[in-house]
Amino acid sequence: MNTLTHTQDMLAFAWWIALSVSVLLYIMLDGADLGAGILTLFLGDEDERGAVMAAMAGTWDANETWLVVAGGVLFGTFPFVYGSAFTYLMVPLALVLWGIMTRAVALEFRHLAEPRWRRFSDWAFGLSSLGTTFFGGVAVGAALKGFPMTHPAHGIPTYVGGALRFLSPFSLWTGAAAVLAVMLAGGLFIRARFKRGEPIRDHVARWTDPAFYAALACVAITVGWSALIFPWAAQKWFGPQFWIWGVLLIAALFATARMRRATRDERDLAAILWFNLTVAILGVAMIATMYPWLVPNTWTIYSGASPQVSMITFTLAMAGFFPVMVMYNWYQLWVFRARISKLVSYHD
Amino acid sequence: MTTSDLSAFISRLDFAWITTFHIIYPPLTIGLAAMLFIAEWRWVATQDPYWYRLCRFFEKLFVVNFGAGVATGVTMEMAFGILYGPFSQAAGPFFGQVLGYETITAFMYEAGFIGLMLFGWGKISRGMHLFATFNVAFASTLSAFWILDANSWMQTPGGVTLKDGVFQISDWAKAILNPDFLYAMPHMVVASIELSLCFVAAVSAWYILGRRHVALFRRALLWSVLTLIVVAPLQIWLGDGLGRVVAHDQPAALAAMEGHYNTLTPTGQPNTGWHVVAWPNAKGDGTVWAITIPHVLSLLETHSWNGTVPGLNDFPKDQRPPVVIPFYAFRAMVAIGGVLFLVALWAAWLAVRGRLSVERIASNRWFLRALIVSGFLPYLAVWTGWWTREIARQPWVVYGLMRTRDGVSHLSAAAAIFWLVGFMLFELMVWGGAWYFFAKVIRRGPDLDSPIPAPGTESLGHLETDPDEDEEAGYFRPV
Ligand code: HDD
Ligand code: HEM
Ligand code: HEM
Repeated sequence: MNTLTHTQDMLAFAWWIALSVSVLLYIMLDGADLGAGILTLFLGDEDERGAVMAAMAGTWDANETWLVVAGGVLFGTFPFVYGSAFTYLMVPLALVLWGIMTRAVALEFRHLAEPRWRRFSDWAFGLSSLGTTFFGGVAVGAALKGFPMTHPAHGIPTYVGGALRFLSPFSLWTGAAAVLAVMLAGGLFIRARFKRGEPIRDHVARWTDPAFYAALACVAITVGWSALIFPWAAQKWFGPQFWIWGVLLIAALFATARMRRATRDERDLAAILWFNLTVAILGVAMIATMYPWLVPNTWTIYSGASPQVSMITFTLAMAGFFPVMVMYNWYQLWVFRARISKLVSYHD
Repeated sequence: MTTSDLSAFISRLDFAWITTFHIIYPPLTIGLAAMLFIAEWRWVATQDPYWYRLCRFFEKLFVVNFGAGVATGVTMEMAFGILYGPFSQAAGPFFGQVLGYETITAFMYEAGFIGLMLFGWGKISRGMHLFATFNVAFASTLSAFWILDANSWMQTPGGVTLKDGVFQISDWAKAILNPDFLYAMPHMVVASIELSLCFVAAVSAWYILGRRHVALFRRALLWSVLTLIVVAPLQIWLGDGLGRVVAHDQPAALAAMEGHYNTLTPTGQPNTGWHVVAWPNAKGDGTVWAITIPHVLSLLETHSWNGTVPGLNDFPKDQRPPVVIPFYAFRAMVAIGGVLFLVALWAAWLAVRGRLSVERIASNRWFLRALIVSGFLPYLAVWTGWWTREIARQPWVVYGLMRTRDGVSHLSAAAAIFWLVGFMLFELMVWGGAWYFFAKVIRRGPDLDSPIPAPGTESLGHLETDPDEDEEAGYFRPV
């Protein structure tokens, strides 16, 4: 079913880029917050946990908004995908949403909670960060596998297949891999946000090494596993254009090596930037591997796009609002860039 | 009821639950942000510290509310695809785009400034801070604009044709400026302002009643109550206009809201009777008992003494909405609108008699108690208003074009129950948290001692400094 004109094909493609950018920005920005949240589970000191939360207080909402933006673009431009994939992913998405809710409450209300509730609220924060990441990863893995749909003669195919179909060894694995990867991001975030000499920085430094190797292994296993079970991936990677993927791989390895160097030299901001470059390269490689599928073997970018995508609305959004918003988001991150000490959580 | 009816019913309940528990927060965000902007602007213009203290105090309540709004709102965006997959697919080209614009123009916009507004005090210049507050207020109003547009299009779907199971847009302007939107949007925005005015007045009244910070909160109380004198009748007027749009475009919905079954009386005259209270009979084609005033229905809906209003029995059985909830919910909302107007008049009378001065305000004990109660009423009005709107348009999800039963996802009853139970737990937790922390912030009272940030900008610290330099930890929570 492809009802788009040639211009609309190009617009669908452009929106697909916008969607991918939003998803990637979400993973890069909120990934660090989620990872730092998971790491608070291992912090014995209540004020340190509070300080980690304070470190993201000014920006977590803006970071999470990229997820909402991705959802909005998906609904607006790829409604056929939105309406079927989200039904397929109902259970993991519900769990992600409960995690997001719990996290928001624990973060926003912590400074008001009684001391005896604080312990409870800290656990809730750490566990909800863990749950959100894990089930988010599960949802991605499940989406990669595709899903069955109805075949109406007139009308739009929609999801049929039950609520538990998302479960598979691969999707559980991507959930676990997401947790490990995000913990690395969280460690780098904590190191960059705290003043030098704070014990929490050294504490986290000790985990960065194992987390690094674990994350590396996760990526390798995920790629290998995908090559085995997804013909659409294997065809691209081992096809005639194999060198493109080779170049991307080398670029990713280079960025990773620079990140290691920067971490060792205590150049925390550089470490974060190199890390995010790695994430971006891997993300772009994965999205390019999937092209033209939005959901492999289920929806392509073109079959999933709204027949009403139009030049006017695209230009309005991309040339008008997007740049302005990115500018203000950046300004906000900039204002809150100073490092903090654990004492901040005392402020009352 | 077949199993698929059952699971469709629970899916509807799922959606009703999450919207009901989301709509508690946005109105206060919208209205209070505007009030904070005005207070801050007065502070910047007059340097009067009272305005600053009021800003900072109500901002604490704003944060709690905002957090709860975000927590419950992210769900909303995902929920359409999860619970109403086929509807989302069919309506996506219009409905999805509108929500997409909302996320870009409103949520992203708001998110870009909210951190500055909450944590930027003393870090950015006063002018920049005022600008941030303005943008938060403006962005949240924009979000109401888009959301209401999406919803009113479902009520009066203009500018589209249904082809191959997809709503194709034939006329954007008609779809966006659909008839319902022109009243529903202002009605919702004014509802948000009214709710926030009542909220601020109620909190202030509580302090004055306890004779704490009387002079400070008298100012908040006076401003909000006097604004209410304009806003309350405006809301009634807009509500009347909205009612006439419903009468015109959704006659079955209006008949359900009024419990109006027969278009004509047995003698063949137009049935003009308006039920104050009533109960439908078992067959669903009339009332068991009712207290009825003649001519009022025609007056309300047609603005004439004997105008005809189509009754429910004129519609095929499978196109009649349920009656009990829309009927009573609608009455509750209208009653609240009237009560709030009376409260505003009471305030005007007291003000004219000079009884709201700093010395005398605390002695109007019944008035202050009434204000505290009025703090809760608009919340109830918002709920009942939405229940009226959403239930009276049944069995349609897109009025007259797509039935709710064709719009719900194919979920098993077990999956739908899983969702319902989970969201009942988590959303009640958010609600409980919001109540608890509202109460706590209010009990603790305003902070009157901490220094007022000087004009100009403080150092923002450095991005990368050498390890020995002592950086300033310029980061703190607003509380
Ligand atoms: C009249 C206003 C209004 C109404 C009827 C709704 N909302 Fe809302 N919503 C807002 C006004 C608002 C807001 C005031 O703008 C909030 C509160 C906190 C915030 O960030 O924005 C919000 C939060 C909020 C968020 C979180 C945004 C973020 O992460 O910052 C989402 C995704 C939605 N809403 C989506 C919806 C959907 C899909 C609705 C349809 C039923 C809905 N809202 C009803
Ligand atoms: C403006 C944003 C809103 C949109 C776009 C919206 C959309 C929807 C949709 C798609 C449904 C399901 C289809 C249906 O049952 O007809 C629904 C049902 C419902 N909504 Fe809303 N809604 C909005 C706001 C609200 C609010 C704020 C409330 C409550 C305070 C509410 C209460 C309900 C109820 C009670 C139902 C169930 C009706 C029934 O199935 O009998 N809605 N709405
Ligand atoms: C006498 C006063 C009022 C009248 C006559 C009135 C009338 C109406 C009508 C006719 C509807 C639409 C129902 C539908 O579309 O099926 C509505 C909806 C609503 N009302 Fe009111 N209303 C009044 C007061 C209030 C007050 C005081 C509030 C809140 C502070 C409020 C909040 C709402 C909300 C949130 C909705 C749903 C959204 C919308 O349709 O805009 N109303 N009202």
